[in-house]
Amino acid sequence: MEQIQSQSPDTPAASRRQLIASLIAGGAIVAASPVFARGASAATSDIPKNDERDNPTLNAALERESRMVATYALAVAATTNQDDKAALLLIHDNHVAYVDALRGYLATEAQAPSSQPLASPSGSFSSVASLLSGLEDETATIHTNSIAGLVGINAASLIASIITVEARQSAALALVSGVSPQAAARV
Amino acid sequence: MTHQKNSPISRRTLLRSGGAVVASGVVLAACGGSTGNPVTRIGEQPESEPLSDAKVDDVVLLRTAQSVEKMVADILSDSRITSVLSGEKATLVAAFAVAHQRHVSNIAPLVTSRGGEPVNEANAKLMTAYGNTVLDLIGESKEQEDALTAVLGLETLVAATYQYSLSLTVEPALRADMMRLGAQSSRHAAVLAQLKNPGTKGFAPGTDEEGNPTVATLPTAFGALNSVQIAIGPPNEVGLRTNVLMDTPSLNSLLYVS
Repeated sequence: MEQIQSQSPDTPAASRRQLIASLIAGGAIVAASPVFARGASAATSDIPKNDERDNPTLNAALERESRMVATYALAVAATTNQDDKAALLLIHDNHVAYVDALRGYLATEAQAPSSQPLASPSGSFSSVASLLSGLEDETATIHTNSIAGLVGINAASLIASIITVEARQSAALALVSGVSPQAAARV
Repeated sequence: MTHQKNSPISRRTLLRSGGAVVASGVVLAACGGSTGNPVTRIGEQPESEPLSDAKVDDVVLLRTAQSVEKMVADILSDSRITSVLSGEKATLVAAFAVAHQRHVSNIAPLVTSRGGEPVNEANAKLMTAYGNTVLDLIGESKEQEDALTAVLGLETLVAATYQYSLSLTVEPALRADMMRLGAQSSRHAAVLAQLKNPGTKGFAPGTDEEGNPTVATLPTAFGALNSVQIAIGPPNEVGLRTNVLMDTPSLNSLLYVS
């Protein structure tokens, strides 16, 4: 006995395309449902997340951080005390993380940064720490000033998270270079 | 030959109608909030006034920053803190308190130029959440180390507050102003961490001889926005101190403009 499966002629067959279309429409309604919901609080949704106009500023920040990495590499090599060396290596690695983060953010828009050191740290650890403290402060100031020109909030947030730690690094290095706590804290 | 017809509900029909039911349900759920309470009430029902939409704008963020700065200035000047500090540490913390009060004044013109009303009061929600607890615990322990731990936590918190506020700030120039103030607190925090654990050995996170974590001057590579946790107060019967979690201002502790 042969069995033939057939659809009833009075029910129009929905094609796969129609089926997918209806599912997409359903998804769109689900996605749009918050719009219809009451009580949505107004916030800062107008701020652009990313903006390609920020790329030159971010490339400048990448260049600065790359040069900081090169400077710390020299400082680590010039330091003999193991605790001091470990501390400088920690900050060196932080700057490597900033280079990586900026490069990752810029992706294909990242330019090849210079690896020219900003200075040649040498002499006592005190003088090396003092020099690096100044460079940290300078870098944090450059980044802070650049934030005023950044359009995208993601880029500004990334730079802000770097400034917070670079300010700490500057104060910590100033303190171990021998300045007073008040001077290191700038109060 | 017999034509055996399938069930009238095919898999395709089921999927299609199921999708329609889900979509209709979502639309109805989104629109359904305007109906009143279906439960029958006896007697008078007081009229409830709906809350107005709160807008987080630059003035709200600046006013909130002022309230946080004022809170930290007040805590650092509180007798429960000042009475346990001595020498250079007392001088330093007093200078930090003055700096925070100065920041309150520095922010005021930024608020007024944007049509807002400046604040010169501590953030009441944050004082209730942890500020008063911190002061009470230091009042009980009367230990200088507790006071320094609290001040370090608060300075870290102020820096994180500006870093977080930046992500909500609309005006780019204002973001830079906020980070200048936040960087000041970062410097304070680094110096306090060095007072608790001095030298380059104290830069990185580590542990002491007993395996307890030490205070790190540079605990993270990037500025963190998570809660600041401090352990202060008199130790309990097993030697543990009270953990206090301190958070940056959130939607329930911002100073909105009415």
